[in-house]
Amino acid sequence: MTSSRWFRRFAFGYGISFAVLYVLALARDLALITVYPTLGVILFGAQHAQDAAPSMGSIPVIYWFGWTATAALGALVFGCCAALLPERWTRPIWSGWLWVAPVSAMVACVYLTLPWFRR
Amino acid sequence: MATALLISHGLVAVALLGAMTHQTLATWAPTRVRPGSFFERFRTVPTAAFANAIAVLYVVSSVLGAIVYVYFRVEISRTLENSGYWRILGFFDLKEHFVAIGLALLPAYWACWQERGDRHARTRAAVTLVLAAIVWWSFLIGHITNNIRGFEL
Repeated sequence: MTSSRWFRRFAFGYGISFAVLYVLALARDLALITVYPTLGVILFGAQHAQDAAPSMGSIPVIYWFGWTATAALGALVFGCCAALLPERWTRPIWSGWLWVAPVSAMVACVYLTLPWFRR
Repeated sequence: MATALLISHGLVAVALLGAMTHQTLATWAPTRVRPGSFFERFRTVPTAAFANAIAVLYVVSSVLGAIVYVYFRVEISRTLENSGYWRILGFFDLKEHFVAIGLALLPAYWACWQERGDRHARTRAAVTLVLAAIVWWSFLIGHITNNIRGFEL
């Protein structure tokens, strides 16, 4: 089984752009959805209910699904664009970005997570 | 239910860790090793054959992890916060981020391993190493978090 050329272009574009977009979503708090698991509620966008109602600060909230969904949606667009581009346009692009982008994103995630370690 | 899911998640993670480690070491190992040695037999496995299994195991492990994560946020993380386990919570946050990045890398990883020839050999090896690092980090942090009372962190 071999992957077709368009799938390879899509996969490379998706992997690289997801890493970049995930860090952006995390840094700017661009969650597509906010999940309140104990209430069984999913809200659109990054909702910080405890800012409006401090009593809600004790209710568990999940943003990770939202950040991932934001990055996945954005990367899907970039991946499809990369798949539609002619091969002669994408061929000169260095394939090493496929590991450089995720590693850079991981380093950025470490930086954004530092506040946990300063408490 | 949560315990059954966590154990399933752990078992899938063990299988993934084994396959990922074998493929990574076989990919990065030097070609000049003593003939007939354990390491020579170890590195001569058909590394491409691992790609499908790794992709499936990574997806299954991520889905199970995402379900267990809801239980973690509801029942465990507040306890860890109240007990002052900030570093563990930070490490666990990194696990979430790394797993998401790795999941998005999976289609490209799979495509790299389907390719004949050496055109993307270096990229393939590097992506495999990145995924292996993510899998090892996730495995270790998951287990440390699960057994936090025994670690005195």
